Amino acid sequence: MSSLVFEGREVPVLEEDTVASSLYRAGVRTFTRSLKYHRRRSLYCGTGECPNCLVTVDGVPAVRSCVTPAREGMRVERAHGWPSTERDLLHVTDRLHRLMPVGFYYKTFIRPRFAWSLAERVIRRATGLGRLPEEGALGTPTARHLRTEVLIVGAGAAGLGAALDAARAGERVVVCDEAPIGSRLAPGPTLDRVRALEAEVRALAEVQVLDRHAALGVYEGPSVPLAAEDELVQVRAERIVVATGATQTHPVFPGNDLPGIWLGRAASRMVAQNHVPIGERVVVAASTEEGLEHLSALVAAGANIVAAVVPSSVRGEVPDSVATIVDGRVTSAQGRRQVAAVFVGSSEGTRRISCDALVLCLGLAPRDALARMAVDEAVEVIGDAALGEQEPHMHEDGMLCLCEDVSLHDIRQAWDEGYRSSEILKRYTTATMGPCQGAMCGTALACVARDLADSSGMPAQRAGTRTTSRPPARPVPLETLAAAVHEVIEKRTSLHEVHEAAGARLDWSGGWKRPFGYGDRREEYRAVRERVGLMDVGTLGKFLVAGTDAATLVDRMFPTRVRDLEPGRSRYLLSLDEAGYVLDDGLICALDDGDFYLTSTSGGAGRMDARLREWADLLGLHVHLLDRTAELGAINVAGPLARKVLEPLCNDPLDADAFPYPGHREIVVAGVPCRAIRTGFVGELAFELHHPRSRGPELWAALMRGGWAFDILPHGLDALELLRLEKGHLYLGQDTMPDDTPAKLGLSWAVDIGKGWFVGKPALERMASLPASRRLVGLGFDGGPEDTAELRGMPITLDGAVVGRVTSAERSIVLDRAIGLGWIRSAGDGFPTELRAGTAAARVEPTPFYDPEGVRVRG
Amino acid sequence: MALEVPCPHCGPRPFTEFAFGGEERPVEAADAEADFARVYLSANEEGPRRERWFHALGCRTWFSVARDTTTNGIGRA
Repeated sequence: MSSLVFEGREVPVLEEDTVASSLYRAGVRTFTRSLKYHRRRSLYCGTGECPNCLVTVDGVPAVRSCVTPAREGMRVERAHGWPSTERDLLHVTDRLHRLMPVGFYYKTFIRPRFAWSLAERVIRRATGLGRLPEEGALGTPTARHLRTEVLIVGAGAAGLGAALDAARAGERVVVCDEAPIGSRLAPGPTLDRVRALEAEVRALAEVQVLDRHAALGVYEGPSVPLAAEDELVQVRAERIVVATGATQTHPVFPGNDLPGIWLGRAASRMVAQNHVPIGERVVVAASTEEGLEHLSALVAAGANIVAAVVPSSVRGEVPDSVATIVDGRVTSAQGRRQVAAVFVGSSEGTRRISCDALVLCLGLAPRDALARMAVDEAVEVIGDAALGEQEPHMHEDGMLCLCEDVSLHDIRQAWDEGYRSSEILKRYTTATMGPCQGAMCGTALACVARDLADSSGMPAQRAGTRTTSRPPARPVPLETLAAAVHEVIEKRTSLHEVHEAAGARLDWSGGWKRPFGYGDRREEYRAVRERVGLMDVGTLGKFLVAGTDAATLVDRMFPTRVRDLEPGRSRYLLSLDEAGYVLDDGLICALDDGDFYLTSTSGGAGRMDARLREWADLLGLHVHLLDRTAELGAINVAGPLARKVLEPLCNDPLDADAFPYPGHREIVVAGVPCRAIRTGFVGELAFELHHPRSRGPELWAALMRGGWAFDILPHGLDALELLRLEKGHLYLGQDTMPDDTPAKLGLSWAVDIGKGWFVGKPALERMASLPASRRLVGLGFDGGPEDTAELRGMPITLDGAVVGRVTSAERSIVLDRAIGLGWIRSAGDGFPTELRAGTAAARVEPTPFYDPEGVRVRG
Repeated sequence: MALEVPCPHCGPRPFTEFAFGGEERPVEAADAEADFARVYLSANEEGPRRERWFHALGCRTWFSVARDTTTNGIGRA
């Protein structure tokens, strides 16, 4: 026999047990304590509506135990009360009920001002639905979209019937239900009918059944998000059928929330399905067809019914063995730990009946949250969900809102204080704002407001409307709503495993996982400056622009001069937006047949592709665009000995005459066809080898082997940071701001302002007449902190006033001093040159800091 | 949450697959002043307008649609 663990003890679990039924069988009677007054609460609705059975299961708070199947090894705890749910000293608040009216803490803890912060701490500890798990998410739900012609919410008899009709009419149908089909019905004729319909529906290919998927709301479209344990499904349908059924009416009378008071469905499921008696002396109040079914189920299960309160019209249907009270009305219930007696009023006067269970079947309240949410959408409401509003059963006082502990008395008092409509009463008392979202009490609240308005001569229709229905209609963990956010795609180059094997420190860079270092950053740096180094730059954006208008597109889209770019030559490429601001940079390579090969920054690849397509479309050009970013890998071989490594692996000429800087060639390296581009980012002789992605590992291995004799080393982003900074090359995004023009970045040389129209040219021309306000400059630091990381982001000051900010700072190894980049503001009569950054003197210096003539790059 | 964008290649798809490209506007303007207005001063009017969308997580096509900003009614332009 399986079992679950309830607060440290083992509780047996039988077939068809819910968490609630197994606990109830084991003698648990107090499942929760109510929110404010810490009143004992026990199983009530049995259909997942009310807040009475919320427990913590395996660390997840607020689980509805009455609809959660019990499983072997579950850890179940109650969440409320101090020191425990069973013995809750905070129950004293119930005695102080009259001293703690609605909103009492707003009224009470006003002065002195610190009183509220103290009170809030106490109140927060005393209330709530349990503690959230401290360690991260409970799961990783996924998100998907689904399109259908008809979405039917609710797989009861009405919903399944509608699904059959729609499918037979040739429509594609999705049927969803928050529970497994039929799981919330007690054995009986209704369940038999649902089972038969289910079998028919499941046999149809046109119908997709999504059980355990709760509809959260109706949105424009119409579309409906469905929440399941492991996914969020956005369903879009031509039309929606709401068949969510009805819940049983929650009657309001003094003592109506005592343990031992059940709604009919909960009671008959407990006795007929779980075979646990609900009491020794049971009173049943039934005024509906369904209520008589529950009465019969209880009788069949051998329950001792001491009285059945029924309308005269159905008296004949009550089993003979049961004593009846005709046309009676339950007016109150009494008891301390649980119900001990009920009072039933009828034409013969009021009778007190001692009992230990009271079963209520006094009508149906449609589950119309979704139907009422749909405004101007194609939504049809069928079955019990379409039942009109029924006058609720209300008597004197009693708990109106179980979730928020709001009594009828509280509502009346709030009304007297001037809160005179259902919407305002809701906001003030928080009635209908708990976990059930008004499923139990929404109608009652509207009716009370209507009655009160009537009796004070106000227009009842306006005061007593049902409060607005809003999503989510069902409780849903926030992480499910964030399902799509959890879906992080980790992009990897083909060399990922190679880096891992080499012990690289891999971390996020944009959407990629990239090596930041392999061990000793200084050695990695020295390999590039003195010998030869390798870097995986497969993350760069890589694009082919081909077709008759290829040259026109690149000419008009970029400020770069491209008309005179000979095949085999390449050039630095700036990308501007229409406002003249720098978006991205890269290289442009002219190919033999009038085509172009472009690279962009790793982070800018997606945008580069989108913009190429956008401008090709806007300008009406005939081009073929191919984003080769994912398809090609790239390895940068850099250092004074780079050529010595490549030459033995390659039959193509690599000398500076045959393959000058800046240029590119198609070559074959170690049998791998590559487009080699001579690049200058690290400031040494460098060949960037763009190759078919799948051949990356063998190319890398061949280069490492070939470089063995020269002490070749791979390097990561950390070494690159210093290598590029010594050359004064900027990182877009790190050293730049969203409104940087080429002039502000010192990149005017990369703009051919004399050529015809290009994207951003009118803006650059307009701004050319404006005074220069800000500029990115090279900085040399003196006397600053030993760790240059402290300089990054530091304000740059002039005579104590902030005039700029450091964007990059490193201790240069080759220069043996701290250098950096930063932006500074104009002082009016030009840009200052002698500045400070914290304790360091900062002097504006020309860039590059290293090899300013570029001799090494051209080598 | 519920807007569907009609892609000329892929048909109607959830808008989360698309990037919004702003109001449709001319590519060039007569002079610098007009260009400033073209770039910065969008009409942003209530009612029907034409706008650009990009099927970023699909076929990567740019296209124009007509959308009514008051009703969110959307159709191929």
